[in-house]
Amino acid sequence: MKKLLLRSSAILLCGITTFAQEVNYEEYDLDNGLHVILHQDRTTPIVTTSVMYHVGGKDRTEGRTGFAHLFEHLLFEGTKNIEKGKWFEIVSSNGGTNNANTTQDRTYYYEVFPSNNLKLGLWLESERMLHPIIDQSGIDTQKEVVKEEKRLSYDNSPYGQFLPVLGKNLFDVHPYKDPNIGYMKDLDAATLDDVLVYNQKYYVPNNAVLVVAGDIDLTETKKLVKDYFGPIPKGNTITRNYPKETPITTQKKATFNDPNIQIPAAMVAYRTPGFTERDAYVLDVISTYLSDGPSSKLYKKMVDDQKQALQVGAFNISQEDYGMYVVFGLPVGETTLEVLYTEMEEEIEKVRTTLISEKDYQKIQNKFENQFVNSNSSVEGIANSLARYYLLYGDTSLINKEIEVYRSITREEIKNVASKYLNTNQRLLLEYLPEENPAN
Amino acid sequence: MKRITILIAAFFISIAAQAQVDRTVMPKPGPAPEINLKTPTSFKLNNGLKVMVVENHKLPRVSIQLTIDNPPILEGNKAGVSSLTGSLLGNGSTNIPKDEFNEEIDFLGARLNFGSQGAYASSLSKYFPRMMELMADAAINPNFTQEEFEKEKNKLITGLKTEEKDVSAIANRVQLALAYGKDHPYGEITSEETVQNISLTDVEAFYRDYFVPANAYLIIIGDITIDQVKQLTEEYFTSWTKAVPPSFSYSQPINVPNTQINFVDLPNAVQSEITVQNIVNLKMKDSDYLAALVANQILGGGAEGRLFLNLREDKGYTYSSSSAIRNNKFVPTRFTAGASVRNMVTDSAIVELLKEIKRITVEPVSEKELKNTKAKYAGRFVLALENPQTVAQYALNIETEDLPKDFYKTYLERLDNISREEVQMAAQKFFNVDNARIVVAGKGSEILSNLEQIDLNGKKIPVLHYTKNAERTEAPNYESSVPENLTANEVISSYITAIGGKEKLEDVDTFLMTAAAEMQGMQLDLEIKKTVANQFMQDVKMMGNSVSKQVLDGDTGYMVNQGQRMELSGEELLKIKAESAPFVELQYLTNSDISLDGAEMVGDKSAFKVKVSDDKTIFYDVETGLKLQEVNIAEMQGQQIQSTFTYEDYREVNGILFPFKLTQTMGPQSFEFIVSEIKVNEGVSEEDFK
Repeated sequence: MKKLLLRSSAILLCGITTFAQEVNYEEYDLDNGLHVILHQDRTTPIVTTSVMYHVGGKDRTEGRTGFAHLFEHLLFEGTKNIEKGKWFEIVSSNGGTNNANTTQDRTYYYEVFPSNNLKLGLWLESERMLHPIIDQSGIDTQKEVVKEEKRLSYDNSPYGQFLPVLGKNLFDVHPYKDPNIGYMKDLDAATLDDVLVYNQKYYVPNNAVLVVAGDIDLTETKKLVKDYFGPIPKGNTITRNYPKETPITTQKKATFNDPNIQIPAAMVAYRTPGFTERDAYVLDVISTYLSDGPSSKLYKKMVDDQKQALQVGAFNISQEDYGMYVVFGLPVGETTLEVLYTEMEEEIEKVRTTLISEKDYQKIQNKFENQFVNSNSSVEGIANSLARYYLLYGDTSLINKEIEVYRSITREEIKNVASKYLNTNQRLLLEYLPEENPAN
Repeated sequence: MKRITILIAAFFISIAAQAQVDRTVMPKPGPAPEINLKTPTSFKLNNGLKVMVVENHKLPRVSIQLTIDNPPILEGNKAGVSSLTGSLLGNGSTNIPKDEFNEEIDFLGARLNFGSQGAYASSLSKYFPRMMELMADAAINPNFTQEEFEKEKNKLITGLKTEEKDVSAIANRVQLALAYGKDHPYGEITSEETVQNISLTDVEAFYRDYFVPANAYLIIIGDITIDQVKQLTEEYFTSWTKAVPPSFSYSQPINVPNTQINFVDLPNAVQSEITVQNIVNLKMKDSDYLAALVANQILGGGAEGRLFLNLREDKGYTYSSSSAIRNNKFVPTRFTAGASVRNMVTDSAIVELLKEIKRITVEPVSEKELKNTKAKYAGRFVLALENPQTVAQYALNIETEDLPKDFYKTYLERLDNISREEVQMAAQKFFNVDNARIVVAGKGSEILSNLEQIDLNGKKIPVLHYTKNAERTEAPNYESSVPENLTANEVISSYITAIGGKEKLEDVDTFLMTAAAEMQGMQLDLEIKKTVANQFMQDVKMMGNSVSKQVLDGDTGYMVNQGQRMELSGEELLKIKAESAPFVELQYLTNSDISLDGAEMVGDKSAFKVKVSDDKTIFYDVETGLKLQEVNIAEMQGQQIQSTFTYEDYREVNGILFPFKLTQTMGPQSFEFIVSEIKVNEGVSEEDFK
């Protein structure tokens, strides 16, 4: 009894203390259009310098796919002032770490240093933006590296092809139909000129955001940013006018054979709205409800109780223009994919037709809150979020407000969104199969 | 004066206007940053519990760390009792049953773990009051039950059993026992026997004696206020009974007068575990503490260390080699440098280890080594500060290690000021090649004669022998008990006679076997089919799904591992082919490449050891002639991995004896396959090998 009382009082407290998490930041534009976000946090003497470019896999022309990802590699090759091959040594012998990654929508480069190397971080990123060395030999080297990466992460990796396969089947005209890493024939066909043109078009200050986060002096940092990035010439304005998809209204079916697997996967996928839409947030909530944690609906039923699936999952692959909502299961023993489809649909149908319980709703809220808090636990994480919210969502303040969106989602809304997007006539059934039928 | 300043400023501005920064030059780092560490607010409860609070409102979360800073505890003939106490804490309290307790923490999205000398919890700040209550309740009113006690005791014993043949676990235990002595808290050995001596009452007594507030620190970091913490600590932790733990005296470890090798013979070892160790007196508050860390970093810190560069990159003796220096405010502690190396290079690796340790004491390190090491060390130090646990640890160290209040604030500056001379002096003081114990655990029959030949300062290093439990023992005797003139082919021949005779074996065209083992509650099924026509199929299934399959059909074959199919070729193909015959021994009969390599004990039976190839050795019972064990060696990621098959429970099928129990051991893992069916000349078709 005492415990119950305490628990409800703890929940009451929630309204009072939630505003404690406020990430402060300042943002402005340089004359060349570079958007700058500064976040001061002097708790730890470290600094993250990062640049997110609004260029990803989808920014390509037919026959020239995979360029953004190729650039993720090319732009470590060296610059007019940084000797080829020295980038990583400079970073590590100055006590830092660095990395980069590319999605269909953006590319992100960053370094973390002790704060006395702020200048070094700014120099590295401005060198990369101002005058990277792009030549035939670098392109040849990095093409091979990318091919190795493709073999490792896609071709040789069990279930590694599911993202490209989903893209291909959910999109007919939008660039999301092609893989982020590109087709190898496109990379082979790329000339030095193609690459230089791409660099001039997308890797320009007016298509990027610079985030400097951590133990910084704001006035000094602003001056340094101006010194290092100010002289970089502005590029042309970029217009994106990618074809729109017509809605899916009849169920699609597809199969794919992956030579790297022995256990097939039953996948159900839906085309959903881009990540800035409120409905995309609701779909995140539905994924958590269905498959996050051992007490989630799909897991509890199919893995724990009925032992039909080795693994189940529901996730919302959110992207700028459209999302992909995927539910999948791997069968145990003799269970057929048909059974998995039926069981998965049964749970999705419940979300479409009935309200989830109050207790489940509260648990989801707790999980999102934890996730939100922990996503802002490192300066590098904050820098990434600031860049993303500005560049892709057009609203930097989401770093503090996004949780409000999740919090405002009601049980009714969950039901409505499920019945808007997750109907059987809107779905793709993808049978992701081993290369050969198993002997039995 | 003022005018001059303006002039200078104007001068600089005009320069800046032309070239704001010289980007052709890589920017130099600024002065080492001062660590902006929060100073904790502290207070003390009447029962002795010291509370430190670091307010950090950046995120709405809180971590609670309880640390009891007791001196080392001697557990004696009940060694293991502290470990059991740790496992039994945090299973609810006398007020809340275990399941309810765990479920609530899950719902809150929080976590809470206990050890024998502390606890850690983290949660959103809004659940902080409840987490404080749950932690205090579980800590002060532990839920010790006989049922949980038995469960944890069995787990502990199972853990000890898996270590019985684990070369690195044995090596580690012997190193500690020899450095400190077995009657020292750090040297005592937890064994099945000592764990069997423990009862629930002992756990309760251990808890009562040592889980007490006298040396306890409660460190709270995050989005809370000092007032809130004061109120909650007083509310929940006041009932923790005031008590001081009992104190002991134990012997002080000292260095040996002359460097010696302490050898533990482990016949199953395919690699030797080597550790060069000496006793050091190092406390964090010592003025040469940082220099000692830097010296160690240059010698053996990770992939840029000299040991790694020499023993791995240059010589290829090992996958990795490193050194470590420890500090301890209560007792002397150890410096260690070591590697796991292939048997054949054990002596050479020791020579190189000693050479590198010596070199750093006689020659100053290079400017570049010092500079890069400082930069890496500083970067790592600074980047780690982001983690709240690091911050907590530093606040605690200042308190418990008696450090100056600005110890971490000046850390980087002091690191930066360290000179090459200071590094060398620290190396001379803490690394000792002349009074070191070189603890080697490995296969004596292959390495011992070379170990006895290692020179140091013109003298042979003496070799002293120890058991797995660090007791002095006689040098092992490898003299063979093999009758003169016996050949490997004769051993094979008597095996063939023992299981049914050559004629019966030659009548076998196909062979089928199914067996099952259990792994962590899941069933593993094994199916093997073979024919005399070089056909072989082995399929391992877990819960009905194939996880590993190998198929050979004449000259072609493939394997499928966790869904990944690979065609077999080259050496792999040959290896499987060599195993494909129903009775490989029929081929050994006339094979002149196999050799009789002495006799050894397999379990409690003496066995002839037949070496089939560099990677394969088979043991046949001296008495019955039956095959007892097969040892295969494979190379994986630079490490030599040994897998052992043991054959037991021979039963007759169609007039031939087959083993019905097969145990496969690989590293710490062991699978016991019980055969359910063996068929001879039936149940196998061509389709099985497609």
